[in-house]
Amino acid sequence: MELSRHAFTAMGCPCEVRLFCDDTKLAEEAAARCVAEARRFEAKYSRYLPGSITTQINSSAGRSPVTIDPETASILDYSGVCFEQSHGLFDITSGVLRTIWHPTMQTLPTNEALDQCLSLVGWNKIQRSADSIFLPSAGMEVDFGGVVKEYAADALAEIAKSLGIRSGLINLGGDIRIIGPQPCGSAWSIGITHPTEKDSAFAVIEVEEGAITTSGSYERYFEIGENKYSHLINPITGWPVSGLLSVSIFAPLAIVAGSIASIALLNTKEAGLEFLNECHLPYLAIDQNMDSYGNLAK
Amino acid sequence: MRRTNPLLALTSAAMALPAFSATQPVESLISIRATVYEEEDAPAHQILVGADDRYDIDIGQFRLLTPIGSDWSVDLSVTHEAMSGASPWYNIQGANQQTSLIMSGATIRDARTEVSLTTTRYQDDSSISIGLTRSDEDDYEAKAISVSGEWDFNNKLSTLSIGLSYSTDDIRPTDAPNFGRVLKEDKSSHSFSVGWGQILNKHSSLHVGLDITSHDGFLSDPYKLRDTRPDDRLEWALGLKYRRYFDNQNAALHLDYRYYHDDWGINSHTLYSAWYQSLGSDFKLVPNLRYYSQTKADFYSVTNNFALPLTTNQSSDFRLAGYGAYTFGLKAIYDIDTWRVSLSVDRYISSEDYGHSGSKGEHPAAVKFLLTSIGLDFRF
Repeated sequence: MELSRHAFTAMGCPCEVRLFCDDTKLAEEAAARCVAEARRFEAKYSRYLPGSITTQINSSAGRSPVTIDPETASILDYSGVCFEQSHGLFDITSGVLRTIWHPTMQTLPTNEALDQCLSLVGWNKIQRSADSIFLPSAGMEVDFGGVVKEYAADALAEIAKSLGIRSGLINLGGDIRIIGPQPCGSAWSIGITHPTEKDSAFAVIEVEEGAITTSGSYERYFEIGENKYSHLINPITGWPVSGLLSVSIFAPLAIVAGSIASIALLNTKEAGLEFLNECHLPYLAIDQNMDSYGNLAK
Repeated sequence: MRRTNPLLALTSAAMALPAFSATQPVESLISIRATVYEEEDAPAHQILVGADDRYDIDIGQFRLLTPIGSDWSVDLSVTHEAMSGASPWYNIQGANQQTSLIMSGATIRDARTEVSLTTTRYQDDSSISIGLTRSDEDDYEAKAISVSGEWDFNNKLSTLSIGLSYSTDDIRPTDAPNFGRVLKEDKSSHSFSVGWGQILNKHSSLHVGLDITSHDGFLSDPYKLRDTRPDDRLEWALGLKYRRYFDNQNAALHLDYRYYHDDWGINSHTLYSAWYQSLGSDFKLVPNLRYYSQTKADFYSVTNNFALPLTTNQSSDFRLAGYGAYTFGLKAIYDIDTWRVSLSVDRYISSEDYGHSGSKGEHPAAVKFLLTSIGLDFRF
């Protein structure tokens, strides 16, 4: 059986569809549909693109409700469960805090700026019905970035499977969802990137099915004075998080793996590890001292 | 308050997302199955008159399941059965107090064809199906219509299903004038069912179902010399199905229990267990065991009493006796690419002694059979 690889860029990251299939025409069709679906997700949910639903929702904040389709509604429902399971730390409205914590700042934000920004944050402030969403204050924003990329990996894998592909994987910027084991039934070798040495693997994991996602804030730190601050902001306090450096997790679905990894990173190190243990999934967590925890590599 | 396992909460929320809502089949499926049913011959010493070979049935089945557009699917099944063999005509008290079978004379040969068409409409959290079935054989014609719906709740952790069906059967026994059989009769059935399926946790699920059926019309067996049954029958059954997955062992346990009760005096228990063992990624072996036990119908007697008036209910049909039965089965399933091959063998033995309330007197027609089946599924 031939391996076909299709590399492309979508959702701001390098992506790849790898398929094993006897029928090259089918493999091409499957790859084309996967790429098209990835682009559809990007066009629909990217906060940077003018026609996206995210832009529509955000630009109508404080003015009027926006009608949403069932897919967007179910992604919002899912985000709500993430909010509950993280005790409010995973909040898709927290993106505005970016404006007061940014890489080029020289001093810490004032308390007034913090309070004003926090008034625009809060999942519970969103007004929703089955087919509409309203952000009540101008300046409020939603950002689906923490959910859609991993969901897209699952959606692409399901498309490939529905076309009859039994062996392959989807890799969207490091979020990997396996379609099926390699043709002889053997596992795929997935490398977990080293947090600071980007070209080397911290660990290599053998997987036959399911998903592995890695979330990490090691690439996006910023410094103010002598201190390093993570790009992940705690939406309750308004301050950047100081916790684990990176989390890689294995779960049957990429979207679930991604959410669990993100939630773990939004916590303090101890709370994050406790959360990961509660999920009973194989994980690899690396802290700021480069110590590793978890049983994913075994 | 101890919160739910986050993995379970997130996974069940994720299942509501469109990419995973594959309740509508995205692939088409063609299945063919060939089955051979062979009854063990009745004990020779108990047959007073008639042929001793019991029933053999060869069954061929074809099924096509295919999606239509993005919201519909169609399921077509065709079954053809060829039956041959002798069947018990009546029982009398023979020598030595033993019950003797009088079998029907020449071997009966008959064929039955059944066609069933169901169409389903899918929506986000629900589906509705309508089905029509038609069955024909020399002496019997049956038509049925059914409507059912399924609704998902709790992020697809729970499913409610409700069904209604109506069927009507026409019986025109063969050789009716020669044997004094009824010339033409009919019966009808109305049925209602409701079920609840619940995913309990990552490893297990439970389904509970209630079925109620009411039959009216000619319910007796026209081929038995003396068989008079009431002209109505009300049945209900409560079923439980439990599924438990053992990820570490790559296996799953299926446990089903069913309690049945009707107004003819029959209560029964069925207990079925199967162990699905995966061996490698393409092969499954499924040993299974079924135990069945029923009480007798009020009007059942092991020998026919021809002195009673024709209008008094009586039947010596073994299927209305108090008896129990065991089925020992083994199934093998092999997946190759888009094909699935399955082979199964079932050995069924029944006896008054196996039941919890067996009838007195050994019934000579207690059934024992062997069922062998081979099937092929193709997805495209």
